[in-house]
Amino acid sequence: MNKFVKGLALAGVATAMSQGAVAACGDVSIAEMNWASAEFMANVDKIILEEGYGCTVELIPGATMTTFASMNTKGVPDVAPELWTNSLTAPLSAALAEGSLHKLNGMPIIGAGEGWFAPGFTLENHPELKTVLDIIEHPELFPSKEDPSKGAFFGCPAGWGCQLTNNNLFRAFDMEAKGWVLVDPGSAAGLDGSIAKAADRGNNWLGYYWSPTALAGKYGLVKLDWGVPFGDKDHWDNCLTQAECADPKPTSWNFSEVNTIVTDSFMKNNDPKAAAYFGKRVFPAAAMGEMLVYMGDNQASGGDAAMEFMLEYEHVWSEWVGVQAANLIKKSLN
Amino acid sequence: MELFDKFPAMGRTDLRDLKKGIDFAFRDFSRENGEAIETFFDPLMFFMVWFEKLLLATPWPIMIFVFAALAWLGARSIWVVIGTIASFLTIGWLGMWADTMATVAIISVATSLCIGLGIPLGILMSRSNRMQAVVTPVLDIMQTIPSFVYLIPVVMLLGIGKVPGLIAVCIYAIPPIVRLTNLGIRLVDKEVLEAAEAFGSSYRQKLFDVQIPLALPNIFAGVNQTIMMALAMVVIASMIGVKGLGVPVLRAVSNQYLALGLMNGLAIVALAVIFDRVSQEYGKRLQKHRQGGHGG
Repeated sequence: MNKFVKGLALAGVATAMSQGAVAACGDVSIAEMNWASAEFMANVDKIILEEGYGCTVELIPGATMTTFASMNTKGVPDVAPELWTNSLTAPLSAALAEGSLHKLNGMPIIGAGEGWFAPGFTLENHPELKTVLDIIEHPELFPSKEDPSKGAFFGCPAGWGCQLTNNNLFRAFDMEAKGWVLVDPGSAAGLDGSIAKAADRGNNWLGYYWSPTALAGKYGLVKLDWGVPFGDKDHWDNCLTQAECADPKPTSWNFSEVNTIVTDSFMKNNDPKAAAYFGKRVFPAAAMGEMLVYMGDNQASGGDAAMEFMLEYEHVWSEWVGVQAANLIKKSLN
Repeated sequence: MELFDKFPAMGRTDLRDLKKGIDFAFRDFSRENGEAIETFFDPLMFFMVWFEKLLLATPWPIMIFVFAALAWLGARSIWVVIGTIASFLTIGWLGMWADTMATVAIISVATSLCIGLGIPLGILMSRSNRMQAVVTPVLDIMQTIPSFVYLIPVVMLLGIGKVPGLIAVCIYAIPPIVRLTNLGIRLVDKEVLEAAEAFGSSYRQKLFDVQIPLALPNIFAGVNQTIMMALAMVVIASMIGVKGLGVPVLRAVSNQYLALGLMNGLAIVALAVIFDRVSQEYGKRLQKHRQGGHGG
């Protein structure tokens, strides 16, 4: 708190010419999503906004659907640093067009994406399995616990946006007839647990996952090539991602859109420099991956990892902020 | 002075090493014994898979007839039977039949298991004060520890699916039956026991013919609580891959589907009420019968 007050005072002196600029930042609420990379990003944003621009930041826990709904209807929280918007295409573009939400950054993390994954050793032991198309011909390599005569495909936890897409792709690739069952892991913890259990024992695993994640790094999960090109966007948006999809067609996974979204009130009431910061804040894939493994190895919270990042990756974050803000932040870190 | 300002906490590195140590120890344990433990539970899992398939494959009119017959055998009350039939018809009409059967399957296995383990444990606890001193804190832990704390190790050990779900449900649902069996037996009047001894009852006769019958109201309160808590865990169990009414509830929670959540939630309530009324009425009849026997 002391540091914060000092930071405020310093910022006040430094920006004496443009008085009010600091006070204008005011209160910002940032969504802290319930997965590691978003938790980490929210905490980095918190440090930078508080120390560099003198905002008062509150982190609000959330999940994709609930946070978006709340931002869209209530305007709270102000910022969603890492919002995966593929499943929100229609309502998001409506909100953007209307001006109630703004997109400040279309790619906050390089190389982020969803898809179907398998552990690296599975692919090494079976070099003939190169793409999803090859793998789905071999359910016997991925026996299901409850019915060992079938292969288990781990879909997306109930209620997640990707659940419908996985269900439809499962049908599109005709996997039931090929001898697969679609397992609903129930929750992120269930999905992670199933991966950890399989990889620890050297069992094959096939399912939906995403990167960048500490888990994908830790267990050497490999994002699979599909063996089919991406079909058309219209089919993806209006059929594969919908509950009612009469005739799903095989396709590779859609390019995953990750955005930093802010509310209109943030644009109007807060320091425009903060908005400019969000536009520049792009995490290189390597730095993000390293921080996630750091979190996993050290059981660090998003806050701990953010502090580590601020200390270790000055060359990265100092590019995102102005010289003045960078100096303020550096002072607060010492 | 610094001692008062700053809590003398374990160093960051030591703490991290401690946490890592525990995690690695558990991982090694799971690598070494995971397969064996899974194999141990395999028969239970195949039974549950079979039982769920049986409930799903049986035509619905037969299932409703079976439920009604069980309700009649348990409760001997036409109102309970009518309520049961009406509930299941409504559930089926609203398209929740398959999920409800999956939930009935896991809940009936879970509650039978909990009751089958819990009553003997409660009896043991009532026999020995030392046993009570050991078991009570364990029950406290089981009831208060956040479920995800033990779900993660269970999933690492057994994967996701029915058996881990069953274990999660039982950890939460078994304490009341153990506690109330223990309490019920301990509350039996000393004078009644003296009288039984005076008539020359053996240890076994005292337990089964005097103490347990007199403790039945408490034991059935325990059965009731166990059923209620098992059903309350349906949603948590769905988070580790158990099929049933919990899955649509999770979907409803993440997508703000009010009606879907409400309907599936109420279906869980309906199951709870049916299970409860039937078991309570059965309990009451059991007590009348026993008491009549002793009086006459």
